[in-house]
Amino acid sequence: MRPLLIALPKGRLEEELLPRLQGTAFELDPRALKSRKLRIPMADPSLAAILLKGADLPRYVAGGVAALGIVGSDILDECPVDLMELSDLNFGVCRLSLCGPGSTTLEALRQKPHLRIATKFPGATGRWLRQEGITAELVPLQSSVELAPVLGLADAIVDLVQSGGTLKAHHLVEFATLGKASARLVACRGMFLAEPDLIGPLAKALAGLLQVH
Amino acid sequence: MPTHTPSFPDLLFDDAARLRRWEAQLMGHLDGAGYRELHPSLVMRDPVNPSTVRFFDGDQLVALRWDFTEALARTLVRRFQEPPRRISYAGPVFRRPANSWDPVERLEVGCEHIQTDPEERTEADRELARLLMAVPALLGLEGCLLHIGHAALLRRPMEAEGVPAALGREVARWLDRRAIHRAAELLEGHPARARLLAHAEILLSGPNGPGSLAVLAQGPYGGLLEAEAEQLGRVLSALTAQLPGGLTLRLDLGDLRGLDYYSGPTLRLWAPGAQRELAAGGRYDGLYPEMGRPWYAAGFCVRLTTLLELNEGAR
Repeated sequence: MRPLLIALPKGRLEEELLPRLQGTAFELDPRALKSRKLRIPMADPSLAAILLKGADLPRYVAGGVAALGIVGSDILDECPVDLMELSDLNFGVCRLSLCGPGSTTLEALRQKPHLRIATKFPGATGRWLRQEGITAELVPLQSSVELAPVLGLADAIVDLVQSGGTLKAHHLVEFATLGKASARLVACRGMFLAEPDLIGPLAKALAGLLQVH
Repeated sequence: MPTHTPSFPDLLFDDAARLRRWEAQLMGHLDGAGYRELHPSLVMRDPVNPSTVRFFDGDQLVALRWDFTEALARTLVRRFQEPPRRISYAGPVFRRPANSWDPVERLEVGCEHIQTDPEERTEADRELARLLMAVPALLGLEGCLLHIGHAALLRRPMEAEGVPAALGREVARWLDRRAIHRAAELLEGHPARARLLAHAEILLSGPNGPGSLAVLAQGPYGGLLEAEAEQLGRVLSALTAQLPGGLTLRLDLGDLRGLDYYSGPTLRLWAPGAQRELAAGGRYDGLYPEMGRPWYAAGFCVRLTTLLELNEGAR
């Protein structure tokens, strides 16, 4: 029987996640982790992990390739897929913030006739702008968003802020917090509901292991 | 080289034959129980729902049939003073899906039971559940689960606590995804937040049979939901006695999908390996009164598209 797949995120959350799995049934085989293997065996031979970019991960779970996954809520809020979101694991916590050069203010941004905001999060940004009654042009970017106001591509950015170090390095300040983001445990709806005796206990064990109280 | 969107899949020989066979088996099953086929037009007028496939017929905006229940209801209220009791249907519906890779065209077979006397509702619900319980064996499916829920279990407490409708819909949407933490964020500052979350914990504690009804009775809305819990208990014990082999019955208090639409017991049929339910239905007593008829209705539809996908996955 093929091992059940759990989708784990590459990048920001990976660094916090992998050490937490050590010494448990979910620990990843270190040799496979260093290789280019797609499926990485876990300590429990009935399980295996796939490491995916956050933006792709929800689709692998919603499509039933992976039964469970761990992904940031910032990604989930941008990705309109039908997933079960079983738990807020409460690690990898950061805030989604509107930021801009220290020389301006939120009020000055509101008054701009043609405000441009660069972001990797157009969905959450659009919802917040509607809620605040602000009209802006969204400039979609994939990386190094903080460069956009420094180089004149946008007036402000909406991005994840954890320690604020990157903002400080680029002389940017936070004007408003749009929301909180953290790691979430997600499950494929079909597998969770059709095979509850298999997926339910596994999800409970993973949440119990990872959830920060 | 032209490409074609996978949202409108073509069915080649074997799949087309399977579809015909399943349709014939299911329609025969419904016909045997006294359900008469009604075939509403594939084109519907007044397409207010943005998830429909719309186009202009002359200067009038129309849409491909997006929902059989609504299409049937529009036909029945226009043509009948007294409703036909048992109706069946088969064919495609077209709706934009939640996931971009899911099909827009979906093939369904289903049925509807309409009552004019509220006292007849419980028996109609049982009849529909019995009909649905026979479907897995008819289609040669093993290891299926039939989830039974009740739409009022969340709606009534939210109404009683004065939760605004828009907020209630959002809370239900997240609870349907088992995301109680999101519901907690949404209810921040609401005076009944703690009670509603304690209730949601009970609803989402997992499908574990009649024991969940006892827990529900001990919860913050045990008194308010006494009638619904009693109704569910009765349905559950009646159906358990008639359960065919290979099918598991589960009480799923966390089945909150379609809360806007369903008003009573809900049914969902799941099969191992399926990404969506094979069949779904329940009681929707609000539909006909909204169209000016004092009728009560319940029904279910079998999603043949999901069955085709399941079959493809197994090959």
